[in-house]
Amino acid sequence: MGELLKITELRTAAENKEILHGVSLTVNEGETHVIMGPNGAGKSTLGAAIMGSPEYSVTGGTISFLGENITSEAPDKRAKRGIFLSFQNPVEIPGITLSSFLRSAYEQITGERIKLFAFKKLLNSAMEVLQMDAEYADRELNVGFSGGEKKKAEILQLLVLKPKLAILDETDSGLDVDAVKTVSAGIKAYKEQTGGSLLIITHNTKILEALSVDRTHVIADGRIAAEGGAELIDEISANGFEKFI
Amino acid sequence: MAKLNILPVPTFARLGVNYAERDITAFGRKDIAVPDGAEQHIIQNISSDSETNVAVGSGAKLKLVQVFDGRTRCAAILRTVLADNAEFELIQLYLGGDTVSEAVTELNGYKAAFTADIGYNIGNGGGLDLNIVSVHHGRRSTSDITAGGVLRENAVKTFKGTIDFKTGAAGAVGNEKEDVILMSGDVCNKTVPVILCAEEDVVGNHGATIGRIDESHIFYMKSRGIPEEKIYELITRSKLARVIGKIGDEQEEKRICSALGWGDELE
Amino acid sequence: MKEKTQVADINRSLYDFRYDEDESSFLNSGITPEIIREISAEKGDPEWMTEFRLHSLEIFGRMKMPEWGPSIEGLDLDNIVAYIRPKKRMQTDWSDVPDDVRETFEKLGIPQAERESLAGVGAQYDSELVYHNVRKEVAESGVVYTDLESAMHDDRYAEIIRSHFMKLVPPTDHKFAALHGAVWSGGSFVYVPKGVKLEIPLQSYFRLNARGAGQFEHTLIIVEDDAYLHFIEGCSAPKYYEASLHAGCVELYVGNNSTLRYSTIENWSKNMYNLNTKRAAVGENAKVEWVSGSFGSHISYLYPMSILNGRGARAEFTGITFAGEGQNLDTGAKIVHNAPDTSSYMNTRSISKSGGISTFRSSVVINGNAVGSKSAVSCESLMLDSKSRSDTIPTMVVKTDKADVGHEARIGRISDEAVFYLMSRGLDENSAKALIVSGFAENVSKELPLEYAVEMNNLINIEMKGSIG
Repeated sequence: MGELLKITELRTAAENKEILHGVSLTVNEGETHVIMGPNGAGKSTLGAAIMGSPEYSVTGGTISFLGENITSEAPDKRAKRGIFLSFQNPVEIPGITLSSFLRSAYEQITGERIKLFAFKKLLNSAMEVLQMDAEYADRELNVGFSGGEKKKAEILQLLVLKPKLAILDETDSGLDVDAVKTVSAGIKAYKEQTGGSLLIITHNTKILEALSVDRTHVIADGRIAAEGGAELIDEISANGFEKFI
Repeated sequence: MAKLNILPVPTFARLGVNYAERDITAFGRKDIAVPDGAEQHIIQNISSDSETNVAVGSGAKLKLVQVFDGRTRCAAILRTVLADNAEFELIQLYLGGDTVSEAVTELNGYKAAFTADIGYNIGNGGGLDLNIVSVHHGRRSTSDITAGGVLRENAVKTFKGTIDFKTGAAGAVGNEKEDVILMSGDVCNKTVPVILCAEEDVVGNHGATIGRIDESHIFYMKSRGIPEEKIYELITRSKLARVIGKIGDEQEEKRICSALGWGDELE
Repeated sequence: MKEKTQVADINRSLYDFRYDEDESSFLNSGITPEIIREISAEKGDPEWMTEFRLHSLEIFGRMKMPEWGPSIEGLDLDNIVAYIRPKKRMQTDWSDVPDDVRETFEKLGIPQAERESLAGVGAQYDSELVYHNVRKEVAESGVVYTDLESAMHDDRYAEIIRSHFMKLVPPTDHKFAALHGAVWSGGSFVYVPKGVKLEIPLQSYFRLNARGAGQFEHTLIIVEDDAYLHFIEGCSAPKYYEASLHAGCVELYVGNNSTLRYSTIENWSKNMYNLNTKRAAVGENAKVEWVSGSFGSHISYLYPMSILNGRGARAEFTGITFAGEGQNLDTGAKIVHNAPDTSSYMNTRSISKSGGISTFRSSVVINGNAVGSKSAVSCESLMLDSKSRSDTIPTMVVKTDKADVGHEARIGRISDEAVFYLMSRGLDENSAKALIVSGFAENVSKELPLEYAVEMNNLINIEMKGSIG
C-alpha cells in the first residue's frame, strides 16, 4: 500500500504561541490511525493544520499528500485532493441549505455537474445510513442542529464526498449511546464503500470498536509521546495518559 | 426632481438617507382591490416608473410578487391598505438595475398581517433605494419584514425599514431584519431600521447584519472543496433562492432562474 | 383588567432649590456683535479669541436651525442671557467661595465627593468657574486641570489651546456650535501627560442658577499617549418658567494607547433646552468610553461622537435616557470609523413615561479605509404607558466589504409575568416595576462609580414613585 499522508517535523503556532513542536507521522492508503492524548495536547490543531485552517500558521516542517507538498495549499485544493475533516464544532451557516451546499461541494470535488434529481437520490441513500430525516437536506447548514445532528451532518458529507483520507476530530464527543452507534455505522460504511484511510482523533474507544486500528499515536504537549498498534488503546483505556505526560 | 422614499422621521441630513431624488414624468398606475374573503396571487414585472395602489378587504389574502428585472432605472411606489384580518404577503426581487422603491402598508384592521420578503443582488454600479414602511393602527396587527442580499462592484444600496406603532395598536407585533453581504471594497451600504412607537402594549424588534462572509464559514466551505469565487456565488444564489422559492408560481420561478443563468433549477 | 401604574410627577426638590441672583450682574440678553465684544472684554480674551467669537457669530447668523429632531420653537434666543458676570474670581478653597454658591454645591454633595473619591473638582456656577482644585499628588504628576480662561493666558498652554479649541467641533458644524463659539464661557481644560494613568476621576459640575440664562461651557481634554483618565461631568439647574439654554461643547483628544472615560449624569431642570455637542478624536489603539445618563431637560439634542482616527482605535458608548412628562429627549451617539481595525460598541436603553418622548438616534459610518473594522449596536426601549412615545432611528453606513456591522433593537413594555413574579414574592406593584426599570438601566449603572450609580438609581426611583390607580 502506498503512502497517503506524510507529516514531517510539523510545527504550528496560533497567535505567536507554538502548539505543535515537531510532529511526524505517516498514514498509508487504507489504514486506520488513532490519535489520542490529553486535552490541550494539540490533537485538534494537528487535524486543522492538515486541512489548512487559517487559525494556525505552519512555522516549520511539511505536510505531503500522495507525494506532493501541500503545506501551504488552500483548503479547497486539499479537499479536491481527497482530504476531509469532520469538525469538532461545525459552524452554522445561515441562508445556505445543507443540500445546495453539499451539491456544490460534490460538483467541485468530482469536477462534474450533477442534476438535482440525481443528487437528491445520492443524498437520500447516505441519509438512510445515518437514519437522518430527509427534511434535514433543506435546512440551513448546521443552523439550530443539536450537537448530535451536527456530527451526523459531518458524516453525511463524508459519505457523499468520499475522500481518500478522513480526519475525524472528536466526532464521538457529546453523543449519546445511540448516536455513537449511528455515527460508527456511517464511518464503517465509508470504509466499506471507499476503502479510504482514517485519522481518528478521540477520547473515547467506543467509536473504534467496529474498526480495525492499524496504528495509535499519543500526542502530549505538542509532541508524539508514544506510538504503537491497537494494543496501545487498551492500555490507555486502562491506565490513562499519565505515563506519557 | 421629485423627492421619493422619504424617511418617515428625518435623521442627520449628512447621512443622505432622508429621501431619494428622481426625475419622473409619469407613473404607470395599477389598482388592485381584493374583495372581502377573497384570495389573490399577482405577479408584476416592473421595468418602468410605476405606482400600485392596493386594498385588501376583510379576511382577504393577497400575495403580491414584484420582480424588478434589473436592466432599467425605475421608481416604484406601492401603497397598501389592510382591513380586519387581511393578510398581505409581499415578495420583491431586485436583480440589479438602479431602482427607487417604496412600499407603505397601512395595517388599519384588527389582526391585519403584513409580511415582506425582499431579495436583491446589486452590482456593476447599480443602485437600490428601498423604503419599506409598516404603519400599525389595528389592534394585534403584525408585520414581518425580511430583507437580504448581496452588493458587488460599485453597488450603492439604502434600505430604510420603518415599523410605526400608532396609539391604539395594542397587541401589535413588528419585526424587521436585514442581512447584507458585501462582496467588493467599493460598495456603499446604508441601513436605517426605524421603530416609531406611541403605544405601550406592543413588541418591536429589528436587527441588521452587514459585512463580509465570516472567515470560519469560508474555511468550512473551502474544506469541502469549494473555492472562494464559488463560495460567493453559492451565497448570492442562496440569498436569492430563499426569496424566489416563495413566489409560489413554478413558471415564474423557472423564468427567473433561467434569466439568472441557473438553468431551470432553484438550488 | 390590566392594572396601570399612575406615576406622579418627579419630585425634584433635591435639585430645584435656588438662590436669587443679582440682575445687575447680567449682561444684556440677546446675541449681537456688541454683546460678544462685551463678553470678550469682560473675560479679557486674547485677540484671536475675540476674532473667533465674532466669526462664529457671523456663521451663527447664516446657519439654519436643525431640520430633524424635537421642536425648539419655544426657545427665544433674543431672550437668553448669554453671560453672567461672576461675583468673585475662581477660588481653590471652598471657604473662599461666596456663601450661596458654596451652599448650592454642598447640597449637591460636590465638596464631600471631592474629599472622598475624586482627584480634582471644578465647579461652574452660571457663566464662570467658581472653584477649581486638584490633589497635590495629581498636580505633581503633571496633570493640568483648570479653567480654560486661565489656561489660555498661561504661556505653557496658550498655544495648545489655540491649536485645539473648536477644531474637532468647528463653529460651522451646526447652528448651536456656532453660537457656542461666539458666547462660550467657563468649562475646563485638562491635560494628561504621556504615560500618566490617573486612577481616580476628575469631576466638573455645572450649575445654571440664573433665570432665563444660557450656559455655554467648553471642556477641552487632551490625553497624551499611554495615559488614562476618567472624567465625570454633572449638571443641574433649578426650574424656572422661562426657557434656559445649555449649549456646551466637549472636545476630547485621546492619544495613542490611551483610554479616556467620560461619564455624564445630566439632570437639568425641565425648562432647559440642552443642545450639547461632544466629540472625541481617538488615536492608535486608544479608546474612548462614554457613559451617559440623560434624565433632565425639556428638550435634548445629544449625540456624543467618536472619530476613530488611529489603527485599532475603539469607542464604547453606554447610555440611558429617561423621558418623563414634558420632556422630549433626542439622544444617541455617532461613530466614525476612519482607520483600519477599529471597533465600536453602543449599548443604550431608553424609558418613556407620562407623555415623555425619547428618541434614540445614532449613526455608525465605516469609511472605505477602515478595513477590518467592527461595530455592534444594541438598543432597547421601554414604554411605560401609551401617552408616551419612543422612537429608534439608527443609521449604518458601510463603505468597505472588510467590515462587520451588527445592530439589534427592541421595544416593549414591562412584562406582566415579571411583575407578577416579583409580586408573588411580596413586592408591591410599584416596587416591582421600579426594580425592573432599575434592572433595565443596569447597563449604565454598572459602568458608573458606585456613588453615581446610587444617584442614578435614586433618580429612577423618584421617577417611578406613584400610586396604583
